[in-house]
Amino acid sequence: MINKALTTLGSYFIFLKQVFRKPENVRLYLKQFIVEADKLVFSSVLIVAVISLFIGGVLVIQTASNLENPFIDKMYVGYMVRESLILEFCSTMIALILAGKVGSNIASELGSMRITEQIDAMEMMGINSAGFLVRPKILAATILNPLLMMLSFLLGLAGAWLVVKLTGIIRIASFVEGITYCYNGFYIFYSAFKMSLFSFIISSVSAFCGYYAHGGSLGVGRKSTHAIVASSILILLFDLIVTQLMLY
Amino acid sequence: MIEVKHLYKSFEDKDVLIDINAVFDTGKCNMIIGKSGSGKTVLLKNLIGLLSPDKGDIIYEGNSLINMSGKNKKLLHRNIGILFQGSALYDFTTVLGNVMFPLDFFSDLSYNEKLARARFCLDRVNIKDSDNKYPSELSGGMQKRVGIARAIALNPKFLFCDEPNSGLDPYTSILIDQLIEEITKEMNITTVINTHDMNSMLEHGDNIYFVKGGTIAWHGDKRSILSSDNAALKEFVCANALARNIIEGQEK
Repeated sequence: MINKALTTLGSYFIFLKQVFRKPENVRLYLKQFIVEADKLVFSSVLIVAVISLFIGGVLVIQTASNLENPFIDKMYVGYMVRESLILEFCSTMIALILAGKVGSNIASELGSMRITEQIDAMEMMGINSAGFLVRPKILAATILNPLLMMLSFLLGLAGAWLVVKLTGIIRIASFVEGITYCYNGFYIFYSAFKMSLFSFIISSVSAFCGYYAHGGSLGVGRKSTHAIVASSILILLFDLIVTQLMLY
Repeated sequence: MIEVKHLYKSFEDKDVLIDINAVFDTGKCNMIIGKSGSGKTVLLKNLIGLLSPDKGDIIYEGNSLINMSGKNKKLLHRNIGILFQGSALYDFTTVLGNVMFPLDFFSDLSYNEKLARARFCLDRVNIKDSDNKYPSELSGGMQKRVGIARAIALNPKFLFCDEPNSGLDPYTSILIDQLIEEITKEMNITTVINTHDMNSMLEHGDNIYFVKGGTIAWHGDKRSILSSDNAALKEFVCANALARNIIEGQEK
């Protein structure tokens, strides 16, 4: 089993080397980058927005209901919502959601191309298929997904604010004071960095799974599942490592 | 011209190709025929470099594929057009995009020149008014034609066709075969067709290699295939009722 894991790891790095080889035609790669940015990042805006709005609202209710001690200022509700959103939700939770949405999309797309010989056709033309098909996906996700993290953060706060406004669970002034209290700009960088790293993991691992798919449509389905499971586990593992390294 | 010299290929313990020797001539429809599982697809994959042989050599116009550097292999690949069994058209782009794809990557032509070349190739295979359709919107026969148009876009010296008639009705099969033969003669290229379609062999087989059990069991052309005494070839050919009737008529 260890042998198999090491072989897979080695194959993954060889695959990455192939992905980042010198492009045959930079202009076509840039064009593909824009296509992938639309497909992988901008098409995820709606789901990220909806989830963030609702989670922000839920967080404020849960935090307020757990802070009933009269000696604790209610502004801490806003503070805790902000910290929860920026430290964990907007990067890790959104990345886990994207692992399902984007990861399965990448793995099944490349897997289908593999079993219908489209990748072979590209290789036979002398095109680095891994470079052309995978590199724009990795770059688009890694560079642009931190924008989704920022959007998620802002909409999470907006959702929380809306719930406070509609339910009156705490005073609006306390909430606003809380979300501006002890602001640490480094947390934004930390969260954006995590999102970037997780996006690299999602796109590269899913592409690796899909690119080497075999065994017909069942094989593609299996590889899509592997992609989601492997990406999710790696996201959690690297969340722990990065948090230890950057925050402690 | 492509020469195959003493080619061997095995997978684990199974010998799939055993001492294959063949010469595929320029300007001819060269065919590799045989039953399913005889090793003809493995032979084709070795020829185009998707598989590496265990032993032996493949020589493209005097240059050994086995000893070729990675850079030269890439250059060779630009001179190879391939029609895959399932057409292998790119789902992410249109008919025109598929034919433009190799031109976009490898030609220095201006956009208008590339467009003109792609339109010429599509016209040559009788695809009209379908520039903006996606592969999923095309019939099997149209997909094959677009596959041929893409394969010839860069003016290749070698054309490989893996079972070009599979999944097509007899009439469309004849049209595709005719098209491949016309293009072979017009462009004077080396065409290698992997097939078990009897009509293709009898109509267009200028140079036929019959593969059985991983070896070349017979070599000849369309004129000699029905009169051969080779028992294995006879068994293969007689599986087709029309060919069987012709052979039985000859024997009477």
